[in-house]
Amino acid sequence: MAELLNSDLWVEQYGDMLYRYTLVRVKDPDDAEEIVQVTLLAALQAKDSFQGRSTEKSWLFGILKHKILDHFRDLKKHRTYELASEDGPDPLENAYLHNGQWANAPKNWDTDPHKAAENSQLVEALSMCLDKLSEKFRNIFVLKEIEGLASEEICKEMEIQPTNLWVILHRARNQLRKCLETSHWNTRK
Amino acid sequence: MSKNSKDLSWMARITRWFGVTCEDTTPLISELMDHNLPLGKRLRLKFHLGMCGVCRIYEKQLEIIRALARKLGEDDAPTQKDAGLSEQVKARIKTALGDQN
Repeated sequence: MAELLNSDLWVEQYGDMLYRYTLVRVKDPDDAEEIVQVTLLAALQAKDSFQGRSTEKSWLFGILKHKILDHFRDLKKHRTYELASEDGPDPLENAYLHNGQWANAPKNWDTDPHKAAENSQLVEALSMCLDKLSEKFRNIFVLKEIEGLASEEICKEMEIQPTNLWVILHRARNQLRKCLETSHWNTRK
Repeated sequence: MSKNSKDLSWMARITRWFGVTCEDTTPLISELMDHNLPLGKRLRLKFHLGMCGVCRIYEKQLEIIRALARKLGEDDAPTQKDAGLSEQVKARIKTALGDQN
């Protein structure tokens, strides 16, 4: 079925799609461009092994996902996933009264997960908030919630302790909550 | 750290007695999204959520964030609509593909 592939058209047909998909996961546009190029080159090399069991598009996206994970593995070589001041404070640090109850109760966002996911403005708001996280928090949140990796897999790949992972995810979620509340719910009429 | 029980509402007293306050609960809500909790912790969490509407709102917010993240991860996510490779980059990639072919 290899004759179904047409590498000449890949860039025109799938280039932007692959790039946008990558840009959600990898913040830096230069890195995203590089990953798309590496993906298409790998696809070209593996062209003969394409079995035609999937569409050309899903085959390319399958390769892209591996290349994105490779990118995160490479990043790990240059940085630590220990918490640092650059990660910002936990927004919940002073959120409680002395008796452990909320001092400022979270606002009711007046939607549910399913409806929220259908609201493109909200999805875009999350995308913007995600870019405000520290690189470390963003990477871990992306691996967990966007790539859908299991916690054990993230710990293994990024060489971090489970407790450290939970603290990072908890704080990342709280920073995203705060950002969404400020950028989306506070600006609604 | 004087925590005078006279200052506490009935809910705070019960939750204190049960060993879980809102402050204890929020990390557990997040943690349960990532892995299973031991039975004791899970029961205390469920007990607290059963009686604390504010923490239920917090739990729902985290579920909304998760749903938004999953949507964002789809290949037709409604973001970066205008983003695309520049013509220059496309040309570079085509050349690289041509060189390898």
